Amino acid sequence: MKLQFKLALYNTLTKIAVILFTGLFTLLAIEKLSVNHIEARLDKSKDMVIRQMSASEIKNLIDQPDYNILNQEYVLIKPIAFDPAPTNAIKYRTEQRVVDNNSEIYRILTAHFNFKNQTYLLEIGESIESIEDLKTIIKQFTLVVLIIALALTLASDLIFTKYLLSPFYKIIDRKLIKVNDPLNFDYEKVKTSTQDFNLLDDSISSLMKKITDLFLLEKQFIANVSHELLTPISIISSRLENLMLQENLSEEAENKLFASLKTLNRLKSIINSLLLISKVENHQFNKTDTVKISDVLAEIMEELEDRVENKKIQFHNRIAYQYSMMANRALIHTLLFNIVNNAIKYNAVKGHLVISDDVVNNTYRLQIADTGVGMEPEQIEKAFNRFEKLESDEMESFGLGLAIVKSIATFHNISIDIQSNRGKGTTFTLTFNSKI
Amino acid sequence: MNVLIVEDEKSLALEIDEFLSREGFTVEHARTRRSAEEKIFVNNYDFILLDLGLPDSDGFDLLKVFKKLPDRDDAVIILTARGAIDDRIHGLEAGADDYLPKPFSLNELLARIHAITRRKHKLDSNEINIKGYRINIQNRTVYYNEERINLTKKEFEIFNYLVLNKNRVISRTNLTEHVWGDVLEINSDSNFVDVHVKNLRKKLSQFAPVDWFETVRSIGYRINI
Repeated sequence: MKLQFKLALYNTLTKIAVILFTGLFTLLAIEKLSVNHIEARLDKSKDMVIRQMSASEIKNLIDQPDYNILNQEYVLIKPIAFDPAPTNAIKYRTEQRVVDNNSEIYRILTAHFNFKNQTYLLEIGESIESIEDLKTIIKQFTLVVLIIALALTLASDLIFTKYLLSPFYKIIDRKLIKVNDPLNFDYEKVKTSTQDFNLLDDSISSLMKKITDLFLLEKQFIANVSHELLTPISIISSRLENLMLQENLSEEAENKLFASLKTLNRLKSIINSLLLISKVENHQFNKTDTVKISDVLAEIMEELEDRVENKKIQFHNRIAYQYSMMANRALIHTLLFNIVNNAIKYNAVKGHLVISDDVVNNTYRLQIADTGVGMEPEQIEKAFNRFEKLESDEMESFGLGLAIVKSIATFHNISIDIQSNRGKGTTFTLTFNSKI
Repeated sequence: MNVLIVEDEKSLALEIDEFLSREGFTVEHARTRRSAEEKIFVNNYDFILLDLGLPDSDGFDLLKVFKKLPDRDDAVIILTARGAIDDRIHGLEAGADDYLPKPFSLNELLARIHAITRRKHKLDSNEINIKGYRINIQNRTVYYNEERINLTKKEFEIFNYLVLNKNRVISRTNLTEHVWGDVLEINSDSNFVDVHVKNLRKKLSQFAPVDWFETVRSIGYRINI
């Protein structure tokens, strides 16, 4: 839920609570006060009745219920079974009574007294209908106030919080959501008089400035490394090649020169691989080619045809879809090349290589399966780490192939899953997360 | 043929110079864009080897200036340590004839120079003759007398490269890189090239002995003429 709505909701709920509480408190207070008042009056009336009691009065009262001695709305005296020591307790209760054919709610005092060897029950009542009316009015009033207050405050809260939070949402939108590259960051300040938002804005800007600096530094570093390392390698390699052309070289010297060239080449490959990974991770490649996966695979299989033949591997092409995506063609080529090349390299002689695809939940999946040496679960976990290599007796490797694969896949939003059984083979599943 | 090496790294320029001079090229040097421009305005070259990272400018700018000169047929090969794929496309689009990322093999440089020469000058004889084998580079075919030898694409590349660099030992690494390009990681198992060489030799030796096609133990191969 958006902050704006949460704030409005909170304000509304607290207002409901305050109004309800006030209404309830008022109701209770009114009832308590009025009832106390009535009871005090009833008590006085009772004392008066008992004090002024005479035989004729009792007779009158019993015979004519309408006979009013007290100016009270309701008086009743009734002889009951004689009790030599009637209880002095006075009871109050609220009950419905019919007087003059009007049914009303009364607060009624009940007392017992003895008069000339007879026990009487005395009831004196006062209508509390007016209090009930008052209560109803207060209830209705509270409800109306509640509804009006709610509507007004909700609207005003929404408008105010919207105004208050608009710089905040602007900051979020412009400085966080829309920024896909630190280099495109918009440093213009969002106008606000709220100190906290200013602080937020400044913090994001300074953070982004730091990231941008680091980013540029890394880019610069990559460019420097490539120049500063590859140029000396180039010099040495050319020098060695020229040395090789000397007529009077001994065989041993020649061998050593070639071994050195080979080592240099190794160094070059490692630097180039690391540079490639860095560049991919720093998004220094475009994704502007329309790349058809089946075409790239066909190309790769042609390039690797000789290796497949040499190992007598049976290749099964089960590509059924013509999937295309916006990508960097050279990188996708490298990605698939490395996986397919591994599938051949680590395959058994006369093994199988199966490339198949399917579409699951609108996403394209490519599977490259071999029947080679396979990997242990611990090896799978580390497979994408740099300089991690499978022990392989026939070929040297730098352990960077899958690290390159990983960085290219991440760059293109492709997830990779490896399933492998030691001695049975390995299956690479590539899930292309961009929608078809 | 004369070559202008535009390269600020003196030692590298001297090594390229030594190698190309041995091949009979006349070599001149320029270490900055300014001196390169002076030379380009005055002389015609068959080849300009252009480093992109010059101390006073980007090599691309120099290329642009050069491309505006009228009636020039100098071939430009970009040599760079930047090595970005985008740079390569950028370079070729800007009018360079080829692009060689550093570090490169001098043999490879020579092969590229030969290829460009052939393309540019449409040499009358697009055929190289070696011990009775005729290599037609345009059609990528090899004949012995009048009989065609069926070579795979890779076998042809290997044969052609070795012949271009005749009398020099070519290492497996170098050969692999030439035939397969600089696909990352693949160079690591350069012994793979042996299979192709073995097949190539077998096909060639059906017609005549190929003792001139020498295996240099633990290094690579050499064609002796």
